[in-house]
Amino acid sequence: MTPIYSLRNIEKNYGKKTALKIKRIDLLPGRIYSLTGANGAGKSTLLQLLALLDRPNAGEIRFDGDVVGWRWRDLRRSRRKVTLVHQSPYLFDTTVYQNLILGLRLRERVMKNGRQRALNALETVGLNGFEERRARELSGGEMQRVALARALSLDPRVLLLDEPTANIDHASSEYFEKLIIELQQQGMTIILSSHDSDQSRRLGSEILNLSEGRLLNDAKPNDTCKKFKPVEGSLCLSPLKMQEV
Amino acid sequence: MDYLTQSFNTALSLIISLDSEVVSTVWTSLSVSLLAIIVAAVIGVPIGLLVALRNFYGKRLVLTLLNTLMALPTVVVGLVVYGLLSRQGPFGNMGLLFTPAAMMIGQTVLATPIVANYTLGAVTAADSRILPTILTLGASPLQGLLQLLLEIRFGIVAAIAAGFGRIVAEVGVAMMLGGNIRGYTRTMTTSIALETSKGEFAFALALGIILMSVALLVNLFLNSLQQR
Repeated sequence: MTPIYSLRNIEKNYGKKTALKIKRIDLLPGRIYSLTGANGAGKSTLLQLLALLDRPNAGEIRFDGDVVGWRWRDLRRSRRKVTLVHQSPYLFDTTVYQNLILGLRLRERVMKNGRQRALNALETVGLNGFEERRARELSGGEMQRVALARALSLDPRVLLLDEPTANIDHASSEYFEKLIIELQQQGMTIILSSHDSDQSRRLGSEILNLSEGRLLNDAKPNDTCKKFKPVEGSLCLSPLKMQEV
Repeated sequence: MDYLTQSFNTALSLIISLDSEVVSTVWTSLSVSLLAIIVAAVIGVPIGLLVALRNFYGKRLVLTLLNTLMALPTVVVGLVVYGLLSRQGPFGNMGLLFTPAAMMIGQTVLATPIVANYTLGAVTAADSRILPTILTLGASPLQGLLQLLLEIRFGIVAAIAAGFGRIVAEVGVAMMLGGNIRGYTRTMTTSIALETSKGEFAFALALGIILMSVALLVNLFLNSLQQR
């Protein structure tokens, strides 16, 4: 199976500080991956790179089989297959529906069924009937769901979520986790950052454990990695991936 | 006191009767300043955006320079532009000195740092999540900037209004580059200075009332924007 992402010898620096240094990662499509690690471990930086919003200082990113070029005309097609939902998403000061349709408009996807797509996305996140509500007047959990609906209406191949349940209550969190599993079952690749290791387990996700910008070798989802002795800085994800390494 | 009351009444009657000289002077003032602020906005808004959003070597110096330029004395701007446009200057052959175009150039130089600085302030004060959100939704860099501008539109309008307020009330540039030619380059401020020195206090007062009203309108507009 062709990985949806292949990262090689990636380095991302902010000034003199190295925020991320990864030798190799291959992420397969249709799976859930959890990025774990302490604050400043490089989770958000990695999500930025995976969202193709920021370019590494060194190394190569392959997305969906192609090497990512960083000029806009090369980037345009790839970036429209990915969407990132931030930890505290920004909703525009207008209606929920207008927030949803904005992404479609920016991606030039306002078609005859644009409204229907937006409404379907709202239904998916359990917010039917919310389309005319003011986005800024919703609760934290509802805002998070609107942001997710806005991302889903774009029909991305990869959904990136930065600490999606950090600022919401337990009930909303449970709802979110159920939804993530459903989306994965529909074939979407989901990569999320999380502080909650139990959540990673509940989602059945594969774990990428980061520390000080590097992937830890003990980030193994199963014991098979031991047999294959992964290269330092490489990721051990599954028996299949280890054979490829 | 009678003198003041009488002058005030005469000034009001000049305004109400739409005295041709008053109208011509107000028109010159407003048209030159409006054109200058449009050009200043076209230059200043992108400068403000660029400086606010980009990290580059020497940014601190650029910020200091922009702040300094905001307080630029109008006579200094008048002097520099005069040097450039005078017969012996590099652009002397264009014959722009003592024309409304020369005043417009000078006022544009005055207003651009103000517009750039206020725009910079509006971008810096805006929610830092706006641009990343727009980009994650698939916007191109240009779409991202336009959407950001839309989000901070009140700040941008405030920047333009502040720049306009400054140039419509300035006298140095208009006097030095326009030459205060009656019916051609005579603005409200240069006319007030001249008419007062001639002893035509009522006429100067009429223009002063209009100038104050313009300044008041600009300020009311700015206040209403700040409350949004």
